Amino acid sequence: MAGPVLELRNLNKEIPRPGGDPFIIFKNINLTVRDGEFVSIVGPSGCGKTTLLRVINGLMPHSGGQILIDGKSAEEVNQELLMGFVFQGASLLPWRTSLKNVLLGVEGRGQNAKDTEQRARKHLELVGLSGFENYYPHQLSGGMQQRVNLARALAVNPRILLMDEPFAALDAQTRNFMQLELLRIWRETRKTVIFVTHMIAEAILLSDRVVVFTHRPGTVRSEFQVPLPRPRTMDIKSDPRFLDLENVVWKQIEEEVNAAGGFAKL
Amino acid sequence: MEALTRNLNSTILRVGSVLAGLVFWHFLATTVINDTTFLVSPIVVVATGYEMLFVNGELYPHLFASSWIFFYGFLLAIVAGVPLGFLMALSQIVRDYVNPWMTTLYTTPRIAFAPVLLLWFGVGGGAKVSIVFLGCVFPILINSYYGMRVVNREYVELARSFRLNSRALFFKILLPASVPFVLAGVRLAIGRGLTGVAIAEWFGATEGLGYLIFFAGQTLNIPTLFVGVAVFAALGIFGFEVVRRVEAYATPWKTDARGS
Repeated sequence: MAGPVLELRNLNKEIPRPGGDPFIIFKNINLTVRDGEFVSIVGPSGCGKTTLLRVINGLMPHSGGQILIDGKSAEEVNQELLMGFVFQGASLLPWRTSLKNVLLGVEGRGQNAKDTEQRARKHLELVGLSGFENYYPHQLSGGMQQRVNLARALAVNPRILLMDEPFAALDAQTRNFMQLELLRIWRETRKTVIFVTHMIAEAILLSDRVVVFTHRPGTVRSEFQVPLPRPRTMDIKSDPRFLDLENVVWKQIEEEVNAAGGFAKL
Repeated sequence: MEALTRNLNSTILRVGSVLAGLVFWHFLATTVINDTTFLVSPIVVVATGYEMLFVNGELYPHLFASSWIFFYGFLLAIVAGVPLGFLMALSQIVRDYVNPWMTTLYTTPRIAFAPVLLLWFGVGGGAKVSIVFLGCVFPILINSYYGMRVVNREYVELARSFRLNSRALFFKILLPASVPFVLAGVRLAIGRGLTGVAIAEWFGATEGLGYLIFFAGQTLNIPTLFVGVAVFAALGIFGFEVVRRVEAYATPWKTDARGS
């Protein structure tokens, strides 16, 4: 058994406010993610789950605690490209074709251009977009754009794949298909994934483990192993174990929302 | 098919609009005003233009003189305006140094500078080119600055997330994201540059379209005056079309949505 890929120890994030107490976004987060594990984070809106991903990715500094990646502190390895980030909006560069968008993270890193292009093509194929290499983002549907987004993150061969509600903006049908696609891609790549979502069913369907956050300031409230075999299909959503877990997680989130003063206050 | 019909309709409307304008002008000149020292029919203008272009060739020296002045002033404005605009966007210090000058020079009417520029550079090309330059440089400078300032934050985050260095950030994100703004500035600069040509040539020039118009106005030669104006308009349209093609080539992701 390999050691953890990612360890968060007492991680805090606060934003100073002029003339007041700092705004605490999350606090005392302890989380360990194993190699090849798919972990989802769910929680009420505003609990800091997206911020947590951004802090892990080094887009924002944390305010205390430790982030360890393969046992090394994140500050030490911050310049290395160890993480692939799948943004909520596809955030594709409109002046680049699919292929060029996927190349963004891999080109110009000292490998020869032919290899990197081959690599980008391979990842477009992996996400089911062979033949769309030369399309511009505006020529692609929302689902296809998210596939490019995913291919771009995977192409850098990241140690950890961070996904920030990647399917939230898609219509329900496309979202279902994308979830199935992600299950397939994960099976083929066995990447370590941290997946933030507000959809409980999505978290259970995809994950090995579901982490539930409290309301803000967010911290880990509970963790659940998903007791469902893989490979999974949509049928699994009617499995009693799935429904039980969904129910338990929902109850907890409901409690958190109420503790925060009710849904209207969020 | 639907788009095709729409394009066709659109073309018919545009051509119709121009034709209606010309017909209105013709009747205004021949029936309402009927004074050739005041207004002449577009038919007379076209005939005069034909003569100046193909019979006596009087137009060419003026056209060439104005074109060169425009070309140099415009080119200098791009060469100076784009990099300076980018620098302003990237550096607070440059911004602080340039901003007061930019605001002052931009808001002062350029015509006010014309006499002093003529004094400094003489009546040769230098003064005229600098008047055109002053006209062109601000829209290009301001748009380049603004274009790079408002680059979508998401793209910048994307670059950081993929650990691009600052060089790659500039060339792969900031520069291409600014291109549409720069080109919009260049487009605006065409009109202002042509105005600059006219102004420059009104002050002590002996050739050029501006001089032609000025001289024709002084001698009540209305047909020639209108030919001069029409050639200015044609140059403007030509310039716009060139920029539009550059845009279509340089920003292919926008052409689909933009139409023309």
